[in-house]
Amino acid sequence: MKIRQTTCNAVRIVLALLLFTAALPPVVHAEMSHKEVLAKADRARGNADGVEWEIDISSVEGGRQQQRLLRVGARHYNSLAEFLAPANVKGQKLLMIDRNMWFVKPGLSKAVPISPRQKLIGGAANGDIASTNYAGDYNVAEASADAVDGAACYLFDLRAVDKKATYDRIRYWISKEKLTGVKAEFYTVSGKLFKTAVFEYGNTVTIDERPQPFISKMTITSAVIKEDVTVMNYSKASLKTIPDSTFNLNLLVH
Amino acid sequence: MRQGGRTSRLEGGHPSGSEWRHPSEGEKAPGASPHLFVHLAVLFLAACLIWLPKAGAAGVEPEEQPAQATGRLTDYLTVDLRLIAFGVCQQPVESTQNPSNNFLKIPLYVGDMEARPDLRLSAGPLELGAKPRMRLDDSVWEEGSLTGRSHGDSDFYLNEYIARLKVREGLFVSYGRENLQWGPSFLFSPSNPFFQDNGRRNPYLEVPGMDFGRVVWVASAALTFSFIANTTEGLNRTTGPGAFLSSVPPPPFEPTYTVKADYTGRDKYASLILSHRKDGEGLAGFYGGWTVADAILLYGEGSVSQGSRGLYPEGDRFSPFGATMAPLHTHDPALYPALLAGGAYTLESKGTFSVEYAYYGPGYGPSDAETYYGLRRKAAEAFDAPGMISGLAQETLGETAITDLRFLRRNYALIQYSQPSIRNRIDLTFRWTQNLDDGSGQFTALAAYELGKHVELFSVATAAAGGKNTEFGSILGYEIMAGLQYTF
Repeated sequence: MKIRQTTCNAVRIVLALLLFTAALPPVVHAEMSHKEVLAKADRARGNADGVEWEIDISSVEGGRQQQRLLRVGARHYNSLAEFLAPANVKGQKLLMIDRNMWFVKPGLSKAVPISPRQKLIGGAANGDIASTNYAGDYNVAEASADAVDGAACYLFDLRAVDKKATYDRIRYWISKEKLTGVKAEFYTVSGKLFKTAVFEYGNTVTIDERPQPFISKMTITSAVIKEDVTVMNYSKASLKTIPDSTFNLNLLVH
Repeated sequence: MRQGGRTSRLEGGHPSGSEWRHPSEGEKAPGASPHLFVHLAVLFLAACLIWLPKAGAAGVEPEEQPAQATGRLTDYLTVDLRLIAFGVCQQPVESTQNPSNNFLKIPLYVGDMEARPDLRLSAGPLELGAKPRMRLDDSVWEEGSLTGRSHGDSDFYLNEYIARLKVREGLFVSYGRENLQWGPSFLFSPSNPFFQDNGRRNPYLEVPGMDFGRVVWVASAALTFSFIANTTEGLNRTTGPGAFLSSVPPPPFEPTYTVKADYTGRDKYASLILSHRKDGEGLAGFYGGWTVADAILLYGEGSVSQGSRGLYPEGDRFSPFGATMAPLHTHDPALYPALLAGGAYTLESKGTFSVEYAYYGPGYGPSDAETYYGLRRKAAEAFDAPGMISGLAQETLGETAITDLRFLRRNYALIQYSQPSIRNRIDLTFRWTQNLDDGSGQFTALAAYELGKHVELFSVATAAAGGKNTEFGSILGYEIMAGLQYTF
């Protein structure tokens, strides 16, 4: 009788353990710190050593459409964007070296310094074309669980480490299964939501000889005017070391 | 607007010869004949053909090659072509610098058409570039001795070209004709020893290139060192004070050697420039900027030079005008500073206010200015007189028009507002430049309208304020330039 009861308890414990384990995300994810989860998500949106890609940006602002095609080389906080289309902006360049920014127009040999507030186009900030380094730029102030379109997600409340970051505060949803950012809300210094973004990962890159999902689309919607939408399509992405000389003003204009 | 200049181009439709020439006339280069261009074009194409089969050989990292390179020329060569056509209407001022428009002979109307192809070839460590230019222009005079006449011209020249080799990672060697500009300021760039015109006044007129050999060493992400040798004047031809008289040859060009160190930090950048001209003139310059906040930029630029190449007025009891213009400070051991401080604030609407103040040490003080305008008045009075005194008057007016100084006086201010992308189509800039010493000013309005994906309509309007014997009020009352640009 005692043996039967013991066996019964053991079965219950095993079943309970199995159920508990099934409810948890994969072990490797469960062991990750918040920063590690962020870093994994960053890998699908850029690379610390460098990324080169083309970004097709189309925006609707106040009912008016605008489109730009850019070739971007980015590394850490630096990026160089060259406008490829349409024809009347072809050859324009935007150089960002940390928080220093210059704009170059064909026909003008002198680069014009511009402030970070001068956004790129539509709802896209200059920081959106560069590779993402949320793990380095932000602290996780609060973490919770949520779901986006039925998929379980980590929900991180990110606060900028310093002024280097493009945004002061971000609420960031990261898929627990794929470890990719799927949605973000961006807030002003005063705490006001000013835009949201959703991400798609139709591209693939090889990292450590393994194919990894890579960002293919970012859709930004204004929180103030819902009809103002900016879509950034990423293509021809390649991860590679981009040298310092790419971001050098002395070599940029000719 | 500058009163004099090292180059044959004077900003704001200023004169550039014994007969007024087109605003972009300074780009013309008798030396840059079609023959020279053909020669360079052949060299360019030959280099392309020689290089292409070897692209990807030693020194070329696979990652630096264009994706999916097929070995065809189109993988490496890019060609951008812009066609630009514009008309200019300008009103010469009746002043002592240009009595009855008979000295500067400024046309009332100018028409201009230009083809501006930009060619670039990038194959591994080698980059080649060329900017040949073709231009047709026509001028019509309605004032002065040329009233009722018109004159057309055509030109074909190579405004810029470059051959640059990446010797190893971070080390680049180049030679070519470049418009080598730097610094953050709008008014002028005192730290640049090569160019007086920084190209900011009118973005639709190209600054003529000069010939440079350069070695650029990118030591780190933050530090870059450059050695720059300005070997010949290229198209930026030295005219000097004798430009208005064909009998007076321009002063010989002197090569200039410059060392430049650049630092780029997290939200600041700074550069130091040391320059030495072969005839002994030295210049130490600097510029720097600081991104104070998302919306605020602060910047500064300056230089100190030993002596001044400019012409200065001095009393001369042997002159019928009581004074003459002379290079009084060429070998002066005194130091002449030129300093500029500026800032910019960007509104939430993305419009940007910019403000600058400049102190130009080589400019005239009150006493020099009084002598200068007195001399100009007496020369103007003698301009139509019979005999040799008329020739002397012309020579004097030539010297007062091109003093070889960037500005005539010492204290200047600029305020500017730029609003980009209005309704996703229109860029507007309004700029006021003030001479704080003589009270004259210049208003400039730039407008660009995006008409489809290829066509841009533009206009640059300038109006002067101040007396006829002031810096900005001496030459043109107004100038309106309007045109379109088609980009293929």
